[in-house]
Amino acid sequence: MKDAMTSFDRLAAKPLFLCSFRSFFLATALYGVALLLGWLGFLATGIGLPEVPGGPIVWHAHELMFGFGLAAVAGFVLTAVPEFTATPAFGRRVTLALLLCWAAARLAFWLSGVLGAGGAVLAALLNSGFMAAIVVLVAPRLWRDPERRHLSFLWGLAAMWLVVGGFHADVLRGLYPMRWVLAGAGVMMVLIVVAMSRVSMRIVNDALDAERLRRAAAQGDAMAGERPRFPGEDDDELPAYRARPPRRNLAVFGIAAHTLAEFALPGSPIAGWIALAAAAAVLNLLNDWHVGRALLTRWAFMLYAVYWMMALGYGSIGLSLLGVAVAPSAGLHLLTVGAMGLSIFGVLCIAGRTHSGYELDMRPWVPVAALAIGTAALARAAAGLPGMPAAGLQAASVAAWALGYGLAAVFLGAVFLRPRPDAGTGCEEPMEEGA
Amino acid sequence: MRLLRAWAAGLPAYLWSGWGAIASLLLLFAAWEAVSLIYGPLVMPDPRSAFGTLLGLIESGAAWPELAATARRAMSGYALSLVAGSFLGLLAGLSMTASMMSRPLVTVLMGTPPIAWLVLAMLWFGASDGTPVFTVFVAAFPVIFIGALQGTRTLDNQLRGMAEAFRLPRRMMFTDVYLPHVVSYLFPAWIAALGTSWKVVVMAELLATQDGVGAALAASRSHLDTAATMAWIAAVVGLLLAVEYLVLEPIKREVERWREQGR
Repeated sequence: MKDAMTSFDRLAAKPLFLCSFRSFFLATALYGVALLLGWLGFLATGIGLPEVPGGPIVWHAHELMFGFGLAAVAGFVLTAVPEFTATPAFGRRVTLALLLCWAAARLAFWLSGVLGAGGAVLAALLNSGFMAAIVVLVAPRLWRDPERRHLSFLWGLAAMWLVVGGFHADVLRGLYPMRWVLAGAGVMMVLIVVAMSRVSMRIVNDALDAERLRRAAAQGDAMAGERPRFPGEDDDELPAYRARPPRRNLAVFGIAAHTLAEFALPGSPIAGWIALAAAAAVLNLLNDWHVGRALLTRWAFMLYAVYWMMALGYGSIGLSLLGVAVAPSAGLHLLTVGAMGLSIFGVLCIAGRTHSGYELDMRPWVPVAALAIGTAALARAAAGLPGMPAAGLQAASVAAWALGYGLAAVFLGAVFLRPRPDAGTGCEEPMEEGA
Repeated sequence: MRLLRAWAAGLPAYLWSGWGAIASLLLLFAAWEAVSLIYGPLVMPDPRSAFGTLLGLIESGAAWPELAATARRAMSGYALSLVAGSFLGLLAGLSMTASMMSRPLVTVLMGTPPIAWLVLAMLWFGASDGTPVFTVFVAAFPVIFIGALQGTRTLDNQLRGMAEAFRLPRRMMFTDVYLPHVVSYLFPAWIAALGTSWKVVVMAELLATQDGVGAALAASRSHLDTAATMAWIAAVVGLLLAVEYLVLEPIKREVERWREQGR
């Protein structure tokens, strides 16, 4: 027992467990590649996937949403919540224990078809236990925060817990559990909107600052032929970016309403209209984002594209529910591969590097990987349009996705597996030179 | 010119902000769909069949003559009330006595239901265009009159005194002191009156004429054709929304910004 504890501690002492996001983000990228390669093998040969209740599509959906997606969510909230609430980071042991719980939940679900009823119970306990642990860890900090500004994360995480529990309850009762994965996609979109509003304030305003510096430099050159300025001439002054709550709340409301309507009345045109409303509400959110050239910088544009994917996804789902000849899966994959895939990639790059003590990555692999993930989403969505070569597009989509997350695993893995390059000792952002 | 440029530069952002309104409208359609699912298509056809019917009416060319007739009547009555209401209102606002005298009269005009005017108009003008035009005029006139009256009554005398002290030329006095202030009152009244006109004309046509959207609504009612009824309603409301949000609201914003900046 003591030996086990020391080897646990020795493992936890590795740089990978210095902060929760390091191990979870690496797991996200690696698992994302592995899942899709396995799925491609199954699509090509019809074999190679573990037997799980509900069949291969349930395996694909469950693991991508509740395995891949929740690993990223865990990495994000376990890093962001201490930062937002100005509380200490979660320790190495907590991180390692949670990662082991996540891995065990994966294993249990993979084996749930082989192990029979006992396996299903084990998978249910481990998967909902993992989500419960996250909620229990962050809830007190979010609640005790004086202004409780970040409670929306708590509601989102609690909803995700409910959804995971619902999925496994359906499995245990012998029902087809796919409706819970769809609900999970809705909860994930809400979490993305909430998280992006925080991340984007930083990213877009940094881009605006850079643009201001560029303009100031350009003006400095033009100062030679100086002339008096008229009042009102500085109308071109760049605005500050604010992620405004009313627009965000409308988008969250639309997404939540669609998720509930689709859950209660699957396939109903009511849910279709609400999906279109959600799409419009997400496009409405982009009002805040139209800040000119600064939007075209890589990080800002990547996050901007997430909302486009979300809007296109809900738009496509809405049209499909209202009887237009688009497969429902097309819109769903714009949400999951596009909005979820891109936003998780963005968070991996942004939070993963800055909280490891590095500046943002300006190397060319980042746009290549982001473009690959965007392409994967569009190709997968196009496979759902009538008259398209579905099999070829799906294969192209998987290849592009594997490329994007493969690059992330390689380049970010190198960051997560090594100690910090600066004098920092925890999850703080890069230390200033000489500080 | 700068005003125009600012307006053109703000246009994309303004149009984009319409997504919020579209989201609300789509939620309304969801509620409409729910009602139609609960009560069945005879009571309430679903949005898609109403829009389908409307599209059919437009494609067959049946919609345009009716809409044109309705628009012609609404616009005639509205133009009359706009001219008369603005002129008389401004005039009445100049004199304390005149505004005191006119207020009860306007209250009477406002308080009389348009349907009562419609009955009178039918007696006076019969089934001609005069009936809807008159009804629209009477319904829209007091709204504009009150706006114009308020505009002149609330003119700041101190501001005028200062302008006189600075010997501001008459033309500048008018364009820079009086006009912006009065327009900031008139314009909202014009917009409100436009909405009133558009609604009242359909009601007048329903009872008094053989063509126009109102008459088409009457026909679809007698055929128990709820899909066509909803299609016509959608057309009328859609047109009003389009005019209001694409034309009037941007102008109103500019006018209001003008007022804010003037302070």
